[in-house]
Amino acid sequence: MSYVLAKSQNNEIHEAGECGGAVTSILKYLLDEGLVDGVLALSPQDDVYDAFPVFITDSQDLLKTAGSYHCAPTMIGDLVQKYFFDKKVAFTVKPCDMRAVEELIVRHKINKDNIYMIGLNCGGTVSPVSGREMIDLFYEANPDDVISEEIDKGQFIIELADGSEEAVKIHDLENEGYGRRKNCQRCDVKIPRKANIACGNWGAEDGWTFIEINDEKGQELIDGAKKAGILETKSPSEPAVEGRSKVENIMIKMAKKNQDATYPLVSEMDEWSRCISCYACRDICPICWCFENCELNKPYFKDEANIPPLPIAFQGVRLSHMSFSCVDCGQCDDVCPMDIPVSLIFDKLQKKYYNRTGYVAGVLDDIKPPLYSPEKTEL
Amino acid sequence: MADDLKIVGLLCNWCCYGGADTAGTARMQYSPNIRIIRVMCSGRINPSMIFKAFQEGADGVFVGGCHIGDCHYDAGNYKWSRRSKIVEDILEEFGIEKERFRHEWISASEGEKFQRTMEEFHKTLSKLGPLELK
Repeated sequence: MSYVLAKSQNNEIHEAGECGGAVTSILKYLLDEGLVDGVLALSPQDDVYDAFPVFITDSQDLLKTAGSYHCAPTMIGDLVQKYFFDKKVAFTVKPCDMRAVEELIVRHKINKDNIYMIGLNCGGTVSPVSGREMIDLFYEANPDDVISEEIDKGQFIIELADGSEEAVKIHDLENEGYGRRKNCQRCDVKIPRKANIACGNWGAEDGWTFIEINDEKGQELIDGAKKAGILETKSPSEPAVEGRSKVENIMIKMAKKNQDATYPLVSEMDEWSRCISCYACRDICPICWCFENCELNKPYFKDEANIPPLPIAFQGVRLSHMSFSCVDCGQCDDVCPMDIPVSLIFDKLQKKYYNRTGYVAGVLDDIKPPLYSPEKTEL
Repeated sequence: MADDLKIVGLLCNWCCYGGADTAGTARMQYSPNIRIIRVMCSGRINPSMIFKAFQEGADGVFVGGCHIGDCHYDAGNYKWSRRSKIVEDILEEFGIEKERFRHEWISASEGEKFQRTMEEFHKTLSKLGPLELK
């Protein structure tokens, strides 16, 4: 594990990128050298609240994916598993993406040799709808005029078309029920250390990207990009490294506080009576890869006459299948048409499982969740 | 009424099912509330089976397997014992008392332990009364 500061040598990319443009440069390097068949990245749509994943095979198209999109939370692991199993593909990962990918590797649904994971440090994401509302309420700007957003130093910062910036403390936004998505507020994995490299602006100087190199593949990546003349690097100063770990620790501390605050029992929540059995939470779940053959679709569990379903016969079954591997990506909350905070219970059970076994989904080097190992141990 | 309590028992073919058989052939008396389902190994029991039993109106679910080290398939009961913890964790969330779910290692010769366990479990459930799921 080592640290470097990196900056793109390509002016266009450096302009478009979030800090040093290193991520886009590395992706470009991978494509140009033919190391991957394609790059899976987020491409912004009409405004900053919308972006969708695109599969890029021509490095010219990479430029439009540069920059950060906190308002377009997407799950990459699921896509790689479904559509790119036998392709060599590079993609960027938030910590939850990385955890999902790791869990899917364990389940033989993603081939580790085929992928390059470029990690992005993540302080949290914002749901597009509440993001819009929040800007309308707490900022003086019109949500449609925002051309870019950034989370830095505990503030959610928006930039307007005329170049002016506005910032509001995330803490204040979250006190009012806005700000980052709920699962991000309680997420305590901020740096994706199982990705090949983890990039971000924490501890970086202006115009540079701070990169933590996590494994040999990551080192080769940086060396290669440097050799190809697309990346410039230097070692970060001691205070920069410290500053970065300080940011991380503050974030984790905040997350722990939120974890303590919010975990009601299912039987105490009346939200579950709103369930309409649409299975959207299951279909979007990156860990639930076998949904075509899902137990919930078997005649003995399929119960179309009873809506809402009995929570234990619906979420209970899903919980028993994968809650110990829940990466708390919050996709189930996002897709639920009835706004049930589904991820709460999954995350809670993952934490319970952690307390029993020490297993954290997609972060440790364990080969499998201990539940399925053939080992002769009791809990 | 305590006599109406329904207990679903999932018993492993090699040990606990034999234990129940031993209790039967020795004409040991125990409450007749248990409905036994024979499975080949406690390691083959999914948590969803337990939930299904509760959903269908069971007031308690009992799982019986071989003693640790005696599994006919080497490690099935270890797997079950780890899985049972998840079941306990999940049941708690859904407001089902953890006493309604019980598992025990009973060998084929332990007819008496089977009898005793059934009596105890029935007593516990009688105190709790019928399960009301919501």
